[in-house]
Amino acid sequence: MLALEVALNRGRFTLEARLEFDEGVTGLFGPSGSGKSTLLGLIAGLVRPDRGRIVLDGEPLYDDAASLCLSPHRRRVGLVFQDAQLFPHFSVRGNLLYGLRQIPARERRFHFRDIVDLLALEPLLNAHPRRISGGEKQRVALGRSLLASPRLLLLDEPLASLDARLKAHILPFLEKVRDELDLPILFVSHALPEILYLTDRLALMEQGRIVASGGLEEILRTEPGSGRFGLDNVLTAQVEFHDVEGGCTLARFRGLPVVLPLRTTQAIGRTTYVSVHKGEIALSRGAMPALSIQNQWPGRIVEIEARGSGVEVHLDIGAPLVAEISPRACRELGLHVGETVYALIKTRSFVYLAEQAAEQGLSR
Amino acid sequence: MLTAEEWSALSLSVKVSLWCVALVLPPGVFLGWLLARRQFYGKSVIEAAAHLPMVLPPVVTGYLLLLSFGRNGWLGRWLKETFDLSVSFSWKGAVLASAVMSFPLMMRAVRLSMSLIDPRLEQAASTLGAGPLRVFFTVTLPLASPGLLTGAILSFARSLGEFGATITFVGNIEGETRTLPLALYTYTQTPGTEQPALRLVLLSTAVAFAALLGSEALTRRTEQRLRGD
Repeated sequence: MLALEVALNRGRFTLEARLEFDEGVTGLFGPSGSGKSTLLGLIAGLVRPDRGRIVLDGEPLYDDAASLCLSPHRRRVGLVFQDAQLFPHFSVRGNLLYGLRQIPARERRFHFRDIVDLLALEPLLNAHPRRISGGEKQRVALGRSLLASPRLLLLDEPLASLDARLKAHILPFLEKVRDELDLPILFVSHALPEILYLTDRLALMEQGRIVASGGLEEILRTEPGSGRFGLDNVLTAQVEFHDVEGGCTLARFRGLPVVLPLRTTQAIGRTTYVSVHKGEIALSRGAMPALSIQNQWPGRIVEIEARGSGVEVHLDIGAPLVAEISPRACRELGLHVGETVYALIKTRSFVYLAEQAAEQGLSR
Repeated sequence: MLTAEEWSALSLSVKVSLWCVALVLPPGVFLGWLLARRQFYGKSVIEAAAHLPMVLPPVVTGYLLLLSFGRNGWLGRWLKETFDLSVSFSWKGAVLASAVMSFPLMMRAVRLSMSLIDPRLEQAASTLGAGPLRVFFTVTLPLASPGLLTGAILSFARSLGEFGATITFVGNIEGETRTLPLALYTYTQTPGTEQPALRLVLLSTAVAFAALLGSEALTRRTEQRLRGD
């Protein structure tokens, strides 16, 4: 388990973070410049905080009260950089063995063979790092970190420099690392779908602070709006039934029935995350019984805000929902704050977030 | 083919230059690394001091060496008492003179090549469990090897051509401090020695040319290894 509470001042940038997480994958999400990479640097020991405490599995890595700051090579915290940073003067095999060689045999957590098999590195072993693709480099970097027997693995946007197709190739490997190795992972990304592919436990970072952490569902419940995810509306729904003939999956969101595109791979009873673009939501004064649109939810107007060429209407449907309509539509409907309207959403407007990361690439 | 005099000057020149490279390499690498990777108080003063031999007239450098490393100089006496080593008016002094003169070249080459290494490669090595020394010897130094090589060649060449500081510091003693340039200078001071002087000119040119060709090939091979060809 990692527990940290640190503060760091660097000119105009201030980082004050408090975070705790346990086994499995935790996603660290936030816009670029919010301090995610700096936070990883603090945990790995590459950046020294001004004050605070970092404790891993009960062992302090940094403690200003005890003037303790363990050097990076004594922390056993693995870090995979966004651009792999493979050593250009070693072959792939040499890179993989770099950390392994420094660990006494009885302290090694993983065998060379096992990691090579897990990440399918066999055909690359004798290649030079400059001669392999970006996705392969990331796999080698991941393997290299694992073979150094870390107690905690930090992944700093490992997919950001890859194109969508390569992302889809590397995600299953990360999934395998998550499932087959007993290792806590902190996964940094500014793309929510990537994170949700691996986990729904998140920490949200903004301007050097952890502004929320926990399960995505909890965060959505306490967060007004979901704008900080870079998505307009994120819904947490419990899968209830697959209507195969009807071509849809039925789920429930805060008591409201939701009709989603059919995905029989989504287990009944499981939580799934879907998003819907604000521009895909229509508003009406009343329920529309003679209409093909399946999702029709009543909600109270909380706020009406002119935004560029559109008008954003914020609704409370038991959870925040934002729709964008044209100023003309808004005028003709005569919408006012406090009134109740219906949000109309087509089944096909919903996107499964966890799929998005992998599918973006495959369908392109 | 070569006369005894020519042979003596040539072998002395090569000996002095090789020792010069060996002497200048460790401090050059250390200071180059320090300037490329560390921030500390007084950095610019150290940087300027290390470059002084490049801008001072060589005679000044030679005279300063004579004052400090001569028989009565404080460093000279200390060397004599501690290591029983005397550098004045011996080939060792010639090594010292050319080492001082070529130090900035070595340091600059090392510093440039080290500042071009992505610090995150060294950080990656440290998160993989390598301590600072291991990072230096397994990542920084190998990646800076083209720069080290360039520095060594430049120092070697600078030492082959060293004249002013050497003649001021250790004089012009045949078989001891009379390197190729000093031998050539001696001929030019004597009437009727145009032919032996010309032979030395050709000899110097041949040695310098061979050194450059060799370095060119070595550098190419090192860079190819780093590029993975």
